[in-house]
Amino acid sequence: MTPPDLGAILFSGAFGLVVIGILGIVMSTHLVRIVLSIVLLETGANLLLMLSGYRAGAAAPIIIDGVIPAAMVDPVPQALVLTAIVIGVAVQAFMMTLVLRLRSVYGTLDIRELRTCLERDIAQEAGIGLPTSDNLPETPGVGPVRTQGGDA
Amino acid sequence: MSPVLMFVLPLLAAFLLPVVARGSPRAGRLFGPLVLSLNCVIGILAWATVSEQTQVIALGGFAPPFGIAFYIDRLALLFAIAVSLGVLLLWPDAGEDEAAQRENTLTLVLAASATGLALSGDLFNIYVFYELTAVATYGLAAGRRNGAAYAAALRYVVISSFGAALMLIGIALVYMATGTLNLAQLAQLAPGMLDGPLGLAAFVFILIGAGVKAELFPVNTWVPEVYAAASKRVAGLLAGIISKLALLIIVRLLVLVFQQAEALQILLLLGVLGVVTGELAAWTARDLTRMLAYSSIGQLGVMFIAFSIPGPAGLYAGLAVALHHMVVKPALFLLAERQGGALERLAGSAQASPVACALFVLLVLSLIGIPPLPGFWAKFLVVTAALAQPGTDYLLAVVVILLAAVVEASYLFRVIVQLYRRVPAARVGGGHDSATLTISAALGLVLIAVVLWLAPIGDGLRGIAAQAADRAGYIQAVLPDGASS
Repeated sequence: MTPPDLGAILFSGAFGLVVIGILGIVMSTHLVRIVLSIVLLETGANLLLMLSGYRAGAAAPIIIDGVIPAAMVDPVPQALVLTAIVIGVAVQAFMMTLVLRLRSVYGTLDIRELRTCLERDIAQEAGIGLPTSDNLPETPGVGPVRTQGGDA
Repeated sequence: MSPVLMFVLPLLAAFLLPVVARGSPRAGRLFGPLVLSLNCVIGILAWATVSEQTQVIALGGFAPPFGIAFYIDRLALLFAIAVSLGVLLLWPDAGEDEAAQRENTLTLVLAASATGLALSGDLFNIYVFYELTAVATYGLAAGRRNGAAYAAALRYVVISSFGAALMLIGIALVYMATGTLNLAQLAQLAPGMLDGPLGLAAFVFILIGAGVKAELFPVNTWVPEVYAAASKRVAGLLAGIISKLALLIIVRLLVLVFQQAEALQILLLLGVLGVVTGELAAWTARDLTRMLAYSSIGQLGVMFIAFSIPGPAGLYAGLAVALHHMVVKPALFLLAERQGGALERLAGSAQASPVACALFVLLVLSLIGIPPLPGFWAKFLVVTAALAQPGTDYLLAVVVILLAAVVEASYLFRVIVQLYRRVPAARVGGGHDSATLTISAALGLVLIAVVLWLAPIGDGLRGIAAQAADRAGYIQAVLPDGASS
């Protein structure tokens, strides 16, 4: 008759989101996917924080008509999560803005191409000769993207 | 005046700045430096009180552990003053247009949140300040508004958000185990509740989160790109000041909460890896900015090694390296603004501005650790503190630090040789502007002053380290009734 432990299910869900998020950040090559993976990772972390105050069968920590519920969930993590969500949303909006700007400057959202563009721009500003040994093989492949970027 | 003002004033000023600047652009331009100077004065006035007794300020009048407290000892106050002073020295003189105003606002937010980071005594409060610092630096990193700045900033934001999420997970684990986030109460509860694998996991999560700003080994890949793509002033701020604030969080948590030997070993290992990778990458770098960026990763590795040494000796040594780096790196970045770029381009710099090159040489020699400059003294403290520890791992760390100094010397001397290579007069570039020269000269003078007054400064630092390492004192100051949940 024992029901499955709700806490355990929720915990594995939260950690699952974290793992999916981290894998997404590491394995994606498309910038928007990376941003979405960060959203997942943060949701997982927030859920975990919520669970740290979770008590099975407890009521919401609200006092109605002066009646204090017998068992309440811990209100502190809920306040913390609220803060974390606000911070997260702001940072994600900023990230999307940067993604848009990058798209309009370089004309691509593929991080491999962007990395080459970044390397090239920094090297150019520093006055290092373009064909450095480490990006020599990649250079011809990214040629068209570069001219696109120059036009935009 | 209460040191809380050091956090409140810049934050208030940041939001008032646009209004003031609309009224009078000139007042808007002077507003930030004025507030920061006031901050320095408040900090220095508070120093006398704090050196007698640490100060605990319960924000909003709610007594800890329920309310959030600012804990102000000499270490916290020293870093708070350093933030105000450092931001003041690296203040943008960008002009009076709207873009400059935005940059000024962000810089003030950065000063406020970094001060809060230094003073806060609550784990979640620290997270919020850490994120606020991060958001301000994101804007500054992208401030140049070109493709490279956007790309570098985005990479920084992604890594930093990843770190922040991990930090949040660490905080959740800590809260799960103890049910509190007040650092003093955590220090009380940690010996029974956080010395297991759960506590270690929480430490690693928080370490990686805070390590992003502190240029810790696996999460520092954003460093060279951001420093190269942002203005050198921002690079100086990040490398010189913000990284040390992140380091301060880690140190506080190590002293108060996470006392497992494994936590120190992880820090030691990551520090050693940071030194090795940073210095080797700096050695292969072909432009001055990225060389300085990689060298800063190496230097922060030395600090991690120092702070992984248990007891006040490690704190003292780490503090010395951190403060030294705080003086030297911003000055080097400021000088590099004019001289930045490929190493070959540096030729003839000594002809263009001999004073700047002399300063550069002084700073670089101290960075390598040539006696009698303070850099030598700082590294000497780390090495002696590490040698006093039993076990081969600290011996290995000493070997790595000494080898790293050799590598450091080899690439930095390469720069010096370039600086003093003579070129035809027609190819000599422009010199430095007087503001940069004055600030770098002031920082260079600090180095020389430290050489002259080494004994009293050393004693002062040792006192600060002893106070910071005093765990029982921290608990007693914040929770005088001995309240244990």
